[in-house]
Amino acid sequence: MSFMQPSPVKYACSCGIVNPINKLFFCRHCPKLRCGYCVSHEVESHFCSNCLENIPSSEARHKKNCCANCFDCPCCHHTLSARATTVPVVRKTEEPKDGESAGAATPPPASSKPSAVPTTKKMYYLSCLSCRWTTRDVGIPDQGVATGTWPDNECLYQARFNTLMEYYQSVVLQEKQEKQEFQRRKAPKAHKFPSLTDRTGLTVSLIRRQIGWSEKNVPKTKPLNITPAEAISELEDLPQDIFTQPINLRNITTVAQRHSQPADQPTAVGNLYPQRRSLWIKRSLRCRQCEHNLIKPEYHPTSIKYRIQLFASYHVPEVVMVRLEHPLEAGQSNAILLKLSNPTMYDMTISILDEKPTEEPQINPDEFQATCKIKEEAVTSSPLMKVAALARQTLTKEVTREVRDVANAKIKLLESEFVLNQRDDSKEFDEEVQAQTEEPNFIVWRKGNKVLLRLQFTPAAELEVNDVVTLGFFMQYTYVNTVSNTAEKKEPTTHTLSSRLFIDAGRIEKGN
Amino acid sequence: MEIPDTYYSKDEYVETASGNKVSRHTVLCGSQNIVLNGKVIVQSGAIIRGDLANVRTGRYCVISKNSVIRPPYKQFSKGIAFFPMHIGDHVYIGEGAVVSAAVIGSFVYIGKNAIIGRRCTLKDCCVIEDGAVLPPETTVSSYMRYTAKGTIEGGQGNPCFVPAAMQDEMVNYTKSFYEHFIRTPAPAS
Ligand SMILES: [Zn+2]
Ligand SMILES: [Zn+2]
Ligand SMILES: [Zn+2]
Ligand SMILES: [Zn+2]
Repeated sequence: MSFMQPSPVKYACSCGIVNPINKLFFCRHCPKLRCGYCVSHEVESHFCSNCLENIPSSEARHKKNCCANCFDCPCCHHTLSARATTVPVVRKTEEPKDGESAGAATPPPASSKPSAVPTTKKMYYLSCLSCRWTTRDVGIPDQGVATGTWPDNECLYQARFNTLMEYYQSVVLQEKQEKQEFQRRKAPKAHKFPSLTDRTGLTVSLIRRQIGWSEKNVPKTKPLNITPAEAISELEDLPQDIFTQPINLRNITTVAQRHSQPADQPTAVGNLYPQRRSLWIKRSLRCRQCEHNLIKPEYHPTSIKYRIQLFASYHVPEVVMVRLEHPLEAGQSNAILLKLSNPTMYDMTISILDEKPTEEPQINPDEFQATCKIKEEAVTSSPLMKVAALARQTLTKEVTREVRDVANAKIKLLESEFVLNQRDDSKEFDEEVQAQTEEPNFIVWRKGNKVLLRLQFTPAAELEVNDVVTLGFFMQYTYVNTVSNTAEKKEPTTHTLSSRLFIDAGRIEKGN
Repeated sequence: MEIPDTYYSKDEYVETASGNKVSRHTVLCGSQNIVLNGKVIVQSGAIIRGDLANVRTGRYCVISKNSVIRPPYKQFSKGIAFFPMHIGDHVYIGEGAVVSAAVIGSFVYIGKNAIIGRRCTLKDCCVIEDGAVLPPETTVSSYMRYTAKGTIEGGQGNPCFVPAAMQDEMVNYTKSFYEHFIRTPAPAS
């Protein structure tokens, strides 16, 4: 059994998607299972995965989400490494800063004055250790410093792009101002007492104008004038040699290479240029219903810790498939051994059901939403904020889809419920000195917080050889919640929760 | 799924006082330079080149069949030099993998037949897929997955590539691998 193989035991998330337990989270406030699909993903921090430097989000935006020091190979997209060479330089004739323009890859020209003392200097070039591309291949001069000093590849249209960017920024700014102006005029000031100026019909700006002061308002920004792009109808003919010259495919870039250099999209390999490495993010996940964090990673890039970690495997009894008693046969009764473990500090009472137990009434979603709304209304004061709150409200609508029942075996339900003992880390090293109590006969053994369960089932008779047998059932368990939504109750509350499980038992080996 | 029991014969494996289980059919060059920090399994056919430089592993590591652990070298103008290799706790190295990394953090999974080029850095909680080839000096940061295609995916908080609870999963996996790696019971006579 390899670590990478998908687990045969899957849990249905509250949104209806079926996942192994290691991809699920458990919101203690709801309390429900959540998966990566039904939570909101937020950027926690930016970092470079090569130099492992943390980059604040404002700086990341300024640097266009690229690392200042690391470069990717334009050829194979692997990281480039700096390589040092020592080259003789003549100090007198060359300023050290000239290293950018002087072709250091080639030996200094013979014309340098012989009187100057030749010294050696370390120069750096970038090299890909995956495909052996180097900056020297495309004639980029070596640099005097290993990182950071590589000039950006200024593309032909850079100036045009910059003016377009400025133009659209000013357009956005103008629209925003107009909107604010509109809202100020539309919404009458809701003062408790009518102010003097209101009664006299004077507004602040009118008074200012009467006194002779200038308008207080910021001068309205006008979009800059730009030369609009022009469409041309006449296209130049293709050069004649395109039909006659044989193509050397080695000199032509691939689509992936062009896309990784979007500004100029070079067609010839000679125009490839080192690309700044994109930053990576750490994400925090948030429950969309109650807006509590499910996971929140530690800020630092090299840290593997979490500040909040509500993994499902910390709260929900884990079911591990151990083995089958017999090879699978259609219509033949069989038994599966399952190992259940309790990850919590409280005993759990577990029962296996074949249909969904009726929802307990204590968590009423409508009521919960209503309380959320009240809270939001108290916070929101300006009409603008309300719009934002409304937009957020639509986000919190819970989407649930029907869980597709893929089970094709009949489960023989257990005669009774059973207790899964609490986790006790100190017991792990002790010898088993457990009082032998009367156990129901479906429990094979019990060790600390673990139980080996024997569950009988019969695969459907119409299954054929090589069909996958899937067991499906509901596991109801008691869960002691130490957090509560209401402030008054401090006592931990006990919920009866249920999860729907599907187990891939294997394939039918023999027909009947 | 529960790891099934793997049995080994008494003649094939040596068990040390610190709980290391090392096959006799391995090539451990320069064994005085190899430190296995306890409960480490070195399976048959594995090669550890302690003669090149020190190799040090943490606890609960699994070095699978036919894998090669080779300290990395660096080229200088006057020749080459080898550097020691450090492997953290709860690291699994798959069958046939060739590892020449400088540092391997803890809770790392290296798949079958993966090639880790010289002086790579694998940070804690990363995954190398089966058959992936890492060029020299690659850094794989925490919660990243290096795919067989040569791309890096994931990141902490992204549940699609590396499990969010990677640390717990690797601890469980290596511990249960150790617990299920047992000596064939002597025939009752
Ligand atoms: Zn979900
Ligand atoms: Zn970087
Ligand atoms: Zn390359
Ligand atoms: Zn929630």
